[in-house]
Amino acid sequence: MGLPEDLAAVVGSDHVLTDGLERFLYGKDAGVFRGTATVVVMPATTGEVAEIVRIAERHEVPIVARGAGTGLAGGAVPLEAGVVVSTTRMNTIFSVDAANRSAWVGPGVINLDLSRHTAPLGLHFAPDPSSQQACTIGGNVANNSGGPHCLADGSTTDHILGMEVVLAGGTVITVGGDAPDVPGVDLRTILVGSEGTLGIVTKVLVRLTPNPPDVRTLLCVFDSVRAAAATVSGVIGAGIVPAALEMMDQRMTVLIENWLHAGFPVDAAAILLAEVTGETPSVTAEAEVVERIAWECGATAVSTAADDAERALLWKARKSAFGAVAQTAPNYYLHDTVVPRTRLVETLEEVYRIGERHGLVMMNVFHAGDGNLHPLMTFDASEPGTLDRVHAASAELVALSVDNGGALTGEHGVGVEKRDLMPLMFSDVDLDAQARVKESFDPGGIFNPDKLLPRGSRCYDFGRPIPEGTWI
Amino acid sequence: MVMRVRGLEDFPPADAPVRDGLPSADHHLAPDTAEEMAEVMAAASDAAAVVVPWGGGVHQGLGHRLYPDVIVSTRRLDRIIVWEPEDLTVVVESGVLVDELEAELSTRTQTAAFPETTPGATVGGVISAGVSGYRRPRYGPTRDRILQATVATGDGRLVTAGGRVVKNVSGYDIQRSVFGAHGALGVITSVCLKLWPRAAASATVAVDDPVAAWAGLHRPLAVLQTPTGSAAYVEGPAAQVDQDAARLGGDRRDGLHWPDPPRGEITAAVTVAPAMTAEAVGRITAIGPFVAQHGVGRIDVAGDRSSGWVEVRGWAESVGGRLTITSAPADFYDSFDPWGTAPPAVAVQARLVAGFDPLRTINRGRLPGGL
Repeated sequence: MGLPEDLAAVVGSDHVLTDGLERFLYGKDAGVFRGTATVVVMPATTGEVAEIVRIAERHEVPIVARGAGTGLAGGAVPLEAGVVVSTTRMNTIFSVDAANRSAWVGPGVINLDLSRHTAPLGLHFAPDPSSQQACTIGGNVANNSGGPHCLADGSTTDHILGMEVVLAGGTVITVGGDAPDVPGVDLRTILVGSEGTLGIVTKVLVRLTPNPPDVRTLLCVFDSVRAAAATVSGVIGAGIVPAALEMMDQRMTVLIENWLHAGFPVDAAAILLAEVTGETPSVTAEAEVVERIAWECGATAVSTAADDAERALLWKARKSAFGAVAQTAPNYYLHDTVVPRTRLVETLEEVYRIGERHGLVMMNVFHAGDGNLHPLMTFDASEPGTLDRVHAASAELVALSVDNGGALTGEHGVGVEKRDLMPLMFSDVDLDAQARVKESFDPGGIFNPDKLLPRGSRCYDFGRPIPEGTWI
Repeated sequence: MVMRVRGLEDFPPADAPVRDGLPSADHHLAPDTAEEMAEVMAAASDAAAVVVPWGGGVHQGLGHRLYPDVIVSTRRLDRIIVWEPEDLTVVVESGVLVDELEAELSTRTQTAAFPETTPGATVGGVISAGVSGYRRPRYGPTRDRILQATVATGDGRLVTAGGRVVKNVSGYDIQRSVFGAHGALGVITSVCLKLWPRAAASATVAVDDPVAAWAGLHRPLAVLQTPTGSAAYVEGPAAQVDQDAARLGGDRRDGLHWPDPPRGEITAAVTVAPAMTAEAVGRITAIGPFVAQHGVGRIDVAGDRSSGWVEVRGWAESVGGRLTITSAPADFYDSFDPWGTAPPAVAVQARLVAGFDPLRTINRGRLPGGL
């Protein structure tokens, strides 16, 4: 039988897509990269996923796992003919354990749905990417996703207690659990952030975080990007790690304000959104420090969200930033790099210069508190040569961050986008070690090939050969 | 490519102070640099030798016993390479003592939230052994703070993963995977760690009911129970600490006063789901001194050969937990598996490890399942 027929025998023909338009739609994520799926399959159970893996191996075609497709680095883009496995039907919240502050969920559960589900218990899933209304837990696990509130709470990896995963050969393993300090080599940690290149996660045990009893959200206004960035350094240096510390520049606030009317000052060069959480005495004390530092750094105004509705509007505005960009140009390219917080000011100034040099409109809305930059370039891809300028500027942005002691990506992942830039950060020996991780899980190379690592990363000149029989 | 020009006998031996307290082996080495550590590993794997990396020796009681040909000390990898207080990060070599690092960090009111009561333990030892401090309800396990790691693999490569920034998803997370791997992915030579500011105020407040204290506080540092009583540990702005202490109602002492770790002929850790901590305490109170971490699900307990470890392990494993020996006389390990039932997927772990230590040079057989 052919590949689609074999898959249909497992999941039913309703859950196998072979239509040209559907395959086209599943050929891209939210970024700029495009491939074409040979066939899209939507399993509902772990057993079905295992069977799909075996079928793909039999047909010798790769498997690309996909959640909601909100990724920006091309991680879910099928680069060669193969099977796209959509996890959207695996969206069951199996159990919520309030006493242990954890939940077993399917990979297709939407991030925000989980936190809404657990809200009556006073708990939430801490990672909150801007795409949280659409992105899935499985996608969060694959990319080790972040979000504004990862500043104090940490990225997805800090919130995954265990998982069930289908490996090559259709082998199903379960790692981790509610009990702490599981001995042995921690496979859970290597799987989080592996971008679907090692296996397919079919169930996730997430850590839930108590909702804060009190929240204070401050909007600090500045007449220079430098002053806003100095406030970020000042707050961190003063011994406060706020729940979130977000910055956006004037170009961004104008677009957002024009759309959502959140009360952002459109004449300000930059604004900072600072949130402190906890019990009231702590929140009050920390908010005072943040406000004082903002004034000391030259803030022109500081206001506090008066109630939950105002706070929700501020966050909606922040998390809708990328949608607002549609007003100005048909296309945008959003970057994701990290620099040490001490290098924010000089890096940002150079980011704007890169935009000017390439004749591109550069705007910034980003997680300032952890040095996670999101420079965004708007353009019209139909204008000849524009995309070349975007790619040239992109390469400079990444190199700038790495040169300043930073990293290629803070939360979006490597995917296709930064695959060939990995040598900026890692030596040949380092990349070979990464490739050995891939090889140890997926010797046949069927899971999401040509992602995360440049071709030729595995270099058999280093170290000692792995003894035969290790894979038996 | 690593040049294998030196044999094990060609490396400078560890001098007397470094050798003190180490078990016997054919070679006692103490490399001066990370590169030399990698050379030692290359020479050891050439000689098919078994190497035990040694930090402070504090956590060597974990895991299966082995008889090393080489003991390699990290004592000379003792530099704090770069500390960026404004960025809340530090890059530190693995042989630095945890207490010395914390003392240095406290001069700028920062902490790496390393274990509070392990004098003599090194940064590399704590990470390799997978040990976390009492403050993990607030700051998470030690693992969460590892931003970058450089390791000397079992076949002599010097591999770096991660980056010196607090948020980073560039490549596989090898840096955090070294936590608890007992060197299977390489001997740690340096790490970059995320730091936390120390709060303005802190207090240790005696409580009668640790379960109620845990449930009643929003993200306390710790709630610990010992045979002599329980205490909640809180920190934050002074007004917050005052409110917490008043609400808890028990005797308050300013500062964080941690209990001594349980000591005895045999020590073990019982780990269960967090909400089962109280029940686990009920199972081990007859054994001896203990420290139970409510909200975490870990109880460290000390006893002797007659302590009924088999029964406690049987119960712990029946509820999804385990009992792990943390120290015992060498012969005890012959009759009692220090890890208990091997965790699932040991074969997958073995394949991963093979990419870093093809001959299992480092701590061969120490891990669960004899890996």
